[in-house]
Amino acid sequence: MSGTAIHENRASVNTILQQIYQGVLEGNRTAVRLKVQEAIQAGVPSAEILSSMTRSMERVGSLFEEGEYFVPEMLIAARAMQQGMEVLRPRLVDRDAKSSGSVIAGTVKGDLHEMGKNLVCMMLECAGFRVMDLGMDVAPEAFVQAVQDNRPEIVALSALLTTTMPQMKVTIDALREAGYRNGVRIIVGGAPLTEAYAQEIGADGYAKDASQAVTLVKRLLARA
Amino acid sequence: MNSRQRLAIALDHKEPDHVPCDLGGTVLSGISHDLYGRLRAHLGLAAIEVRIADVVQQIAVVDDDVRDLFHVDVRDVAPRSSASFNIGIQDDMPGYTYFYDEWGIGWKMPKVGGFYYDMFHHPLKGDISTGDIDRYRWPDPADPARFHGLRERARHAAEVEGQGVVIGGLCAGIMEMVAWLRGFEDYYLDFAGNTKLLEHFLDKLVELKMAYWERALAEGGEYISAIVEADDMAGQNGMLISPRAYREIVKPRHKKLFDFIKARTRAKIFFHSCGAVRKVIPDLIEAGIDILNPVQVSAAGMDSAELKREYGADLTFWGGAVDPQNVLGSGSVQDVKDDARRRIDDLAPGGGFVFAPVHNIQSNVPPENVVAMWETLREHGTYNQ
Repeated sequence: MSGTAIHENRASVNTILQQIYQGVLEGNRTAVRLKVQEAIQAGVPSAEILSSMTRSMERVGSLFEEGEYFVPEMLIAARAMQQGMEVLRPRLVDRDAKSSGSVIAGTVKGDLHEMGKNLVCMMLECAGFRVMDLGMDVAPEAFVQAVQDNRPEIVALSALLTTTMPQMKVTIDALREAGYRNGVRIIVGGAPLTEAYAQEIGADGYAKDASQAVTLVKRLLARA
Repeated sequence: MNSRQRLAIALDHKEPDHVPCDLGGTVLSGISHDLYGRLRAHLGLAAIEVRIADVVQQIAVVDDDVRDLFHVDVRDVAPRSSASFNIGIQDDMPGYTYFYDEWGIGWKMPKVGGFYYDMFHHPLKGDISTGDIDRYRWPDPADPARFHGLRERARHAAEVEGQGVVIGGLCAGIMEMVAWLRGFEDYYLDFAGNTKLLEHFLDKLVELKMAYWERALAEGGEYISAIVEADDMAGQNGMLISPRAYREIVKPRHKKLFDFIKARTRAKIFFHSCGAVRKVIPDLIEAGIDILNPVQVSAAGMDSAELKREYGADLTFWGGAVDPQNVLGSGSVQDVKDDARRRIDDLAPGGGFVFAPVHNIQSNVPPENVVAMWETLREHGTYNQ
């Protein structure tokens, strides 16, 4: 291949990667799927394709924090990345898709709200974390069991209600009593939560939205 | 001055003798049934079987003895379910009791440690067409059974008791009903690219609500002080949908509904919207709301003094009394009194304020904090005449 051809090839690869980035940002599932296929056919390394989607989701997170994006925009972006991942996943070798860490998430006992927790799970997955979602109304014993079985780095607790918030402390205490507290980092979130409350109940961190949850998990694991 | 006059003056943005107040006048300014029982005991009132005002939220009917002690100025003359509907709570689901409401939405509550019913079944979830919406078995909004006795209850509250009269709506807001019938994820996805379906769905709900209000307003007539509509669209830190989406898709439909109501009554439109709604308050005013509730002072941008300064000329604030997330449940009696005082100072001047909790008072709140709220209102809620 001549120097010019390599140059042109790189330019077209960059264009495809940019289109993937843009597709995720705009939540265009069809475009992302097509462009990921195109990139694979053009021989673009899987890690580069993955990175363009991950970077796009980071941008989505920033736009959400800045008040430019809202729940619908964040959801369709995550959906678009999921479409891209369906195409890409079989191509990923371990080296490309080394998990950034594993997270067990759930809404605490007595609380049946999960939209916020689902957004957190989605954003963490898009950022490369392995996420096990235990659902809602999750009893402390169920968190303990899941930690025992899966040994995650992070446990993420969600609550929407002032009345169910105390269950977060009960869950943290249950993990301590079972001897797993020191092996995991516990993060908490949900509308009524505050940084001060998180500290009071012995959590390792608090994030006010799904985007900041990703930043928080990355920070905690970098420190670990 | 009776309660009815007091409320009317406040809603006209003038100062009555005293700030009017509400506890249990809507299903958005009530008290958890569990706390209500403890409050009665704390007040030394007779132990009674607490009646439930709203099954989903598990809030109590506030009895006359408590209403009198707290000087409550409004009474709810809520409509009832259609004749064909029977709530029928079931308990054959492991760990939960459950029921389906008259819209076909399934609700469940943990048998142990549950506080509310939450949705588990969304009948219009998934890939649906506008035809599916048209063909859905909607409840009859104008079923006469809903309005049975309503006129007499309203007349009695207004003329005999001298109370402000509030009448509740058919169901939750038009956006909320889409969210509940579709499920939250589909609902948000509809906002991002499925707007034709979303608009069709919202139009259907506006149509059902208009049929309801046509009849309800005719029944309640001149007795009604305020009608209740609602739509939640914000979270703790900001809007959940973009203000632009609200303006383009929802606001014209809210306006259509509110115009319809205003053409049929002189009652004020009480609009409930939780969370950080500051960015769309001007739009809500344009759409026709008169009263904002619950004024979630703990959400971003919802400072009571700022809201009064910016929107006090156009809006009555119904709620806002005591930060529910950082004070009412967890603070001391003195903290509660200080916060209640602050909200009265912020919101009462010039009228346009109905003292009420920020949404229903939850079961984690100590009874003495509830009493402290109303004691503060007694002490500091008088206008200088």
